[in-house]
Amino acid sequence: MKARILQTLTDLRTYALSKPCEIALFYHEEDSALMRFANSAVSLNTSEHLIRLEITAYAGRKRASYEMITDLTQMAEMRQGIDIAAEMVEHAQPLAYDPTIPVFSESYADESCYDAALAEIDGASKLATVNAAVTGLETQHLKLSGIFSSGVNTVAQINTRSEHTQFFRTTDAQVTVVLAHDTLKWEVQAEQSAQRKSDLDSQALREDLAFLVEQYTHAPAGQLPLGSYDVVFGPAATADLLNFMNWIGFNGGMARRGYACLREDQVGHKILSDKVTLVDDPSRRETFPYRRDYTGIPRGPFPLFQHGVFAAFTWAQDDADEYGAQPTGHSVGHKSLVLHGGSGDVDSLAALAAAPRDKDLLYIPFLHYVNIVNPTKGLVTGSSRFGALLLKQDGSIAIPFNVRLTQSVLDIFGDKVAWLSQQTVPYNTSHSYGARNPTAIIVPRFVRVNDLEISHANASF
Amino acid sequence: MLDQMKMHLDRIRRSGASYVDCRWYPFEESNALTMWNGNLKQAAASRESGVGVRVLYQGAWGFSASSDTSALGAVFDKALDNARIAAERVTFPVRLAEKDAVQTAFTSPCHIDPFSVPLSDKVAFLKTMDELLDQSGIFQRIGDLTFMRKQIHFVDSEGSEIEKNITEVFGSLSVLGMDAQGAAHQRSFRLNQRGGTRGWESIDKEHFAENAERIVRELNQILVAPQCPVDDRSVILLPGQMFLQTHETIGHALELDRILGYELAFAGGSFVTLDDFGKLRYGSEKLTARADATLPNSPGSFGFDDDGVPAKDALLIDRGILVGAITGRQMVEEANARAHRVIFPESGGANRATAFYRVPIERMTNINIDPGTDGTLDEIVAATDRGIVLDGDRSWSIGSNREQFHFGTEIGWLVEDGQITHVVKNATYKDDTLRFWNALSAVGDPSTWQVVYVDNCGKGQPNQVMQLGHGVPVCRFDGVRIGE
Ligand SMILES: [Zn+2]
Repeated sequence: MKARILQTLTDLRTYALSKPCEIALFYHEEDSALMRFANSAVSLNTSEHLIRLEITAYAGRKRASYEMITDLTQMAEMRQGIDIAAEMVEHAQPLAYDPTIPVFSESYADESCYDAALAEIDGASKLATVNAAVTGLETQHLKLSGIFSSGVNTVAQINTRSEHTQFFRTTDAQVTVVLAHDTLKWEVQAEQSAQRKSDLDSQALREDLAFLVEQYTHAPAGQLPLGSYDVVFGPAATADLLNFMNWIGFNGGMARRGYACLREDQVGHKILSDKVTLVDDPSRRETFPYRRDYTGIPRGPFPLFQHGVFAAFTWAQDDADEYGAQPTGHSVGHKSLVLHGGSGDVDSLAALAAAPRDKDLLYIPFLHYVNIVNPTKGLVTGSSRFGALLLKQDGSIAIPFNVRLTQSVLDIFGDKVAWLSQQTVPYNTSHSYGARNPTAIIVPRFVRVNDLEISHANASF
Repeated sequence: MLDQMKMHLDRIRRSGASYVDCRWYPFEESNALTMWNGNLKQAAASRESGVGVRVLYQGAWGFSASSDTSALGAVFDKALDNARIAAERVTFPVRLAEKDAVQTAFTSPCHIDPFSVPLSDKVAFLKTMDELLDQSGIFQRIGDLTFMRKQIHFVDSEGSEIEKNITEVFGSLSVLGMDAQGAAHQRSFRLNQRGGTRGWESIDKEHFAENAERIVRELNQILVAPQCPVDDRSVILLPGQMFLQTHETIGHALELDRILGYELAFAGGSFVTLDDFGKLRYGSEKLTARADATLPNSPGSFGFDDDGVPAKDALLIDRGILVGAITGRQMVEEANARAHRVIFPESGGANRATAFYRVPIERMTNINIDPGTDGTLDEIVAATDRGIVLDGDRSWSIGSNREQFHFGTEIGWLVEDGQITHVVKNATYKDDTLRFWNALSAVGDPSTWQVVYVDNCGKGQPNQVMQLGHGVPVCRFDGVRIGE
């Protein structure tokens, strides 16, 4: 398949060379499958095989692009796409800067994050994985929801500047298992991200769910008083918050446009807690990494924060072109964020609940619908969901109804950080619209942050 | 192609499927242009075509799609295979509400096909707008135009055959500025319904120019404005925020699949239960809301949904009482059966898919609030002691059961003793959904009513983005916490 894709791109390049402009081809193929569960049934079982070809034409400072969903058999259609892009660019308007067209100096292929076993996983195995995760936990009122999303993602590139190609192929799976009470309306969740089939572990999913179901069934539930809490975030909440840093934090282009909470004069200064070391690390296969970016720049570990000191902004090529910055290998579909673990020795929810504590702890596994209230302040807001716990100082556990947190990411990851777990886990963040783009962020199992304000507390589940 | 589709429908039906449908998109095209600080950052076009097949087998759905229509039979076979696997875990066998089979067509109103307009004209339009936005105080300026055009052929095993031709036009302008403390603020304009058609003719230079001038002026007011106070006040929402309030806390909350727990894995549920229909006081007497897919000229009006059900005008909330939901064929059957009563006599015709490769789910049509009798905006302001007028959606975050929300807006105007006093920045408000709608104390007259277009409503797994509309008046709500 790889040979056929690259040959097709090479043939299309030959055709593109006849045009009076430069042409870059970006090929995206996905084999996506999604088994969806609701009300304890498979509510949907879908599979899509889609090939997208994005054709970008450059004529001096002018640039235009044409994207099509197509098939490798459709050479005439794809050539026509090149015609359209070449025609469009004539009518585009010159940019105020010179857009860089990458020159691939060698061909590059990375299939190290492709796992044939995961690529070929069948419907019965997926169903068995989810069934095993909830064995004995479903009841007449406690219903299974969730997804088993899996796929193969292929990206390939060529352009008229050289005959060399880039090729990336990965496999991914995201398993989300929710048990929701149909009348009381509480819901608990366990999730897993897999790059290989062998990463899947039904038993681990079941352990998390069983612990939460036990608490939610027996512990007293109530509305939390508003005020300040010491919060322990689970992997989903931590990853989601870091994702916002990705967007309104260390992204150079966004910062120049006024959408970021970090400034250039802060590089080299301590901004976050000294316990926070955040790296874009494409050596971690669990993040479905790109080890070259789309312009051919080799990607290695790129420090963002080292012990709280802001190390650098990331620059994608087009932003770098516009603002006269140096590109940093970040013209990619996603980064490979890794938040290093710390000294915390609890590595499971049960252990967290059992550990002695100096104060009440509010455990928030997941934040629902986080959004940016004020980008320059890093202010975001979102609500707890999927199994929050109030771990009381006396060792007992209560169930808090969902609460809202409106805080700056700079405060959350600032000096209020008390500890991070030693153990880290990949959290799958692939909620992409449009084309498949598997992403995951590696985060400590738990992150404790003291003194965070709860601004709203629900009066019921 | 249509003959082949019907042949495979019959074949799969004979293999034991109880229902089969197929949507063939001969083309779906888009054209998106973004000009940012005078740079044409995006001049993009796209085209896709393909088929999506849905098979109901022993009470379970299977779906498959491909852009390769030469292998049509394989797409049908895969959908049946997927349904067979799904049938191994069925708790409530899917049934579909009755509908009439129709052979018909729908075309959205469009005078000048935007795809017939040269790219250079579109670029020139954005350039003109960019020059108008390039004023003192403005740090970033963004102009966007998006055009979409698609043809869909729907056939099902019940004898329906529908052709749809839909054209969409979306446009917006935004400006961003920095206040003295280095914090960013924005003000935006979005093209809404104007007249009876939405082709290139809706890209009216004069209308955009007036609004360009307005957002620049208002942003400059925001940049020197004091911070929004933390306070409890009456909030008066203009259509530019009222549409989002309606969208998030009536629209999504009343999608029947959410109410029945079909979105719990991701998007969330709803605080509404089946028991609530016919009795829950959702809002004050002044609140009447409807899902009206018959509203002329809106992205939420599409003739027939992807179950082949014709557009309906369905009441959702009648003078404050919850009476209806946003529904499709499958969910109304399940809801009625679970409730042991007929809440929904028929499908509301709101099942839609974003593309040939996605499965239809309950989506908003035009979720509208009926205009009221409390006069114009000026009259509502004059009748308000301590309030704030809010406009422009800047941020939104809603509880997973849509039970509470936090919204940030672009601009606020404080009201004291019936008079607007001054602009404030960083205006936000939050509340519990039911408390908020029950605090609805004034609904503007038809002069305040506007149909706002939405091009980016996300829902479902795999994610789907949908276009729709909201016809909303100016509304006032009392005792709302602002400024947090
Ligand atoms: Zn929406």
